[in-house]
Amino acid sequence: MGQVLVVTSGKGGVGKTTTTANIGTGLAAAGHKVALLDTDIGLRNLDVVLGLENRIVFDIVDVVNGNCRLRQALIRDKRFEGLHLLPAAQTKDKTAVNPDQMLGLIAELKKEFDYIIIDCPAGIEQGFRNAIAGAEKAIVVTTPEVSAVRDADRIIGLLEASDLREPKLIINRIRPKMVRQGDMMSIEDILDILAVDLLGIIPEDDMIVITTNRGEAVVLDQNSRSGQAYRNIVRRILGEEVPIINLDEEEEGFFKKLRRIIGLK
Amino acid sequence: MIASANSYSISGFGHDLPAKLEDLIDENTILVQRTLRSGQSLHYNGNVVILGDVNPGAEVAATGSIIIMGSLRGVVHAGAGGDVNAIVMAFHLQPTQLRIADHITRPPDNGAIDPDYPEMAQIKGGVVTIESFQYAGERQGKVT
Repeated sequence: MGQVLVVTSGKGGVGKTTTTANIGTGLAAAGHKVALLDTDIGLRNLDVVLGLENRIVFDIVDVVNGNCRLRQALIRDKRFEGLHLLPAAQTKDKTAVNPDQMLGLIAELKKEFDYIIIDCPAGIEQGFRNAIAGAEKAIVVTTPEVSAVRDADRIIGLLEASDLREPKLIINRIRPKMVRQGDMMSIEDILDILAVDLLGIIPEDDMIVITTNRGEAVVLDQNSRSGQAYRNIVRRILGEEVPIINLDEEEEGFFKKLRRIIGLK
Repeated sequence: MIASANSYSISGFGHDLPAKLEDLIDENTILVQRTLRSGQSLHYNGNVVILGDVNPGAEVAATGSIIIMGSLRGVVHAGAGGDVNAIVMAFHLQPTQLRIADHITRPPDNGAIDPDYPEMAQIKGGVVTIESFQYAGERQGKVT
């Protein structure tokens, strides 16, 4: 039986979809069977981020309404055999699906996949209710901004009220230099308020924009820091103990690194 | 009455603690063993003791006093029924807004004061004042 994870945040634009795509791709790259579920009906994005937009024939609303079989709506990824996407509908809205239908859908997916990852829409209304209905574990994404942390706190409260306890936190788009200068909330500041376990931190990285626009996943990019951060998160989900990257060290300059390599430090 | 921001004063360490904690003992007290997160609220007819934090965006209102064994970063209203003797105490008192009876206060806008010791808010001489809180035994140098 598969494990069902929901990726949520409350606030929009903090990286839920990017995180869903990268964790899904990472798990699939590790050889697992993964289904990604886009529940952002009316504002679907996950298909675009994965570069699968042009393959969509049926969507989640078609499946729950019985217009097609689940298997017909699932789109297989370009790179990984084990990665599948169930896209959201673009012409409907969040009321086109209800939590009971989601439970049925997830029960069916669990038979076939090792991991089902649900991309939750922003907000706390029905879209959120649908997304968390069948989830067993939650991943909360935030950025080091007061508003995003506030919304994450609200979401954690709502998850707990729905019996999704001990969510894991991903802090996205960290800029170590700004944190050092005291201009950005630090990881400690955020954990102090949210008091949940940290699943990982992702540094701000241009490669995210580049790969996302190409419909690729940064987790496959061996040279970028954000790719490494996502690979670490995937390993932690798989149960490995991986230390959180020290962004200060990561940021060291070229000459410092060179000196260290040739043994001057 | 809305007190101005400067009525939210912070005094020095460990002197002048007029509110007798015994006066606050009331059988109508609840113990809340959780953190209140943004969007969550607690309204209670009596005193409230919270073993956890009150995060920004959360609110607690009680007709009696409010004691927070953690960080207070949200909105609290003690003496919500008009009791001017109600107090607010927190291990880390950094409220968004603090109300006692019909007094409404907020931290000063330039407030960089962030003490790491427990503090207590109460109405003294018609204004809400904040003082460091020390247990009586500790003040007398006893090990408790």
